[in-house]
Amino acid sequence: MKTERDPFIQKRQESGVEYMRAEGQEMPLVLRLQDVRKICKDWKTFSNDDPFMIVPHSEANVRSVRQYPIETDPPDHTDYRALVEPFFRRPNDANYQVSMQHLVDEVLAAAATPDCVDAVSDLALPLQSRSLARLLNVDDSEAKLWISWGTHVFKEGDGISKGAELSSYIREKFEAAEGSDADDFFSVLNRADFQSRKLTLEEKHGFANMAFAGGRDTLIHTISSIIAYFAAHSESLEFLREDHARIITATEEFVRYVSPLTAIVRTCPHGAKVLDAVIAPGGRVGLCWPSANRDETAFTQHDEVVLDRSLNPHVGFGFGIHRCLGAAQARLIIRSLLESLCNQIEAIKLIEAIPEVEQESSFERKVGYKRLLVSFIPRVPRALRPGLAA
Amino acid sequence: MARITYITPDGKQVVVEASGGSLMTAAVQNQVDGIEGECGGVCSCATCHVHVDAAWISRVGPAGDAEAAMLELEDGVNSASRLGCQVPIRPELDGLTVRVVGR
Repeated sequence: MKTERDPFIQKRQESGVEYMRAEGQEMPLVLRLQDVRKICKDWKTFSNDDPFMIVPHSEANVRSVRQYPIETDPPDHTDYRALVEPFFRRPNDANYQVSMQHLVDEVLAAAATPDCVDAVSDLALPLQSRSLARLLNVDDSEAKLWISWGTHVFKEGDGISKGAELSSYIREKFEAAEGSDADDFFSVLNRADFQSRKLTLEEKHGFANMAFAGGRDTLIHTISSIIAYFAAHSESLEFLREDHARIITATEEFVRYVSPLTAIVRTCPHGAKVLDAVIAPGGRVGLCWPSANRDETAFTQHDEVVLDRSLNPHVGFGFGIHRCLGAAQARLIIRSLLESLCNQIEAIKLIEAIPEVEQESSFERKVGYKRLLVSFIPRVPRALRPGLAA
Repeated sequence: MARITYITPDGKQVVVEASGGSLMTAAVQNQVDGIEGECGGVCSCATCHVHVDAAWISRVGPAGDAEAAMLELEDGVNSASRLGCQVPIRPELDGLTVRVVGR
């Protein structure tokens, strides 16, 4: 059993394919960067039109609706995605960016005390949920409930009851927004036209399910992994402070290196052949992002964090038509967090780390942290440092 | 300083003056339609795909390996394709025209 952070290195170099047990079959995982990209582009052969099956293990027991737009193919996918893209492009707006920086400053300041704090529940989770409230243009107070759902909306506890709670919440929000002319996510979808008709409740529910479940644990794991990295590399915050352009490159590098989502799956309605793997009609193939992001033929120092990596063609947000809708939001949160850390924090002291490990039939992989207890050492303003006072 | 002309996907001409950065950063700073530069310029998102005017291809130069691998799978790619984030703006590019491919 391979337990290191890159458990795919040997198979990636040997054959480019690893197999894992999923839904009663040995499913191939494609491991190399360019092979993953090619599959992402060929949506006719490698389809997303397979509800509940875009992850290795079916989600049919934790949700009852197809997720939109991701679990559809063109041409419908193009039209579905266009309905929600205005929300997910909001992070490109300069005013939104300023507002988000204020939010991240506030959340970090509240969490960053010299006392012991859990970087998962006290920082990453509130950051994810309160930022999502901004993105969906709903009141910040809504995030309180979302935070209570924990890192995973489906996986923790018995899974089924958590999925049911999310489902009830979403239906209540669409009902409450009926007839509203407001600009929040629920009201806008209630009014949206899709191919000359209104969306059904199932479709709206599927959009909201994706918005709440997608990108949740992955962002939380990325944030906690960033905090853990700085706790282990105390000099790195100063390295970022020396050149502001490193905020951008470090963001992309953390996305590449952490790669919290192990695989997204495509279904091959007519079968396919990928390297030496033959996929029967109706069979499935996994796109292994963390392996592609460590491909030694594409990345120098592939197994190291290089905060000023200027050429970084990672697929941490996917590739092609199904590239992550929330990528701009995730990038903005991480960039803002790095900015806040540079401004507010001198060092981070690790107290206890309990990793989150995914266990599959052929590998184990650390994806983030269940708990990450740290204490933050605040940065002393330059003017107050001994010998530097004006 | 270099003057760069971007022809956007809907045919509009936008002239930008820049003394540094890249074709992507100059476009984003001047809100040129069709160039997003989501990844900030590390060659990860391909949202800055342009076609270089034929007369300028040799002066702009060819794509590197990582960029070429990205472009290989992009829609609308041709022999004049470059990712704007990988083309530094330098004085000898004064007068360059590029067509924005967009998505």
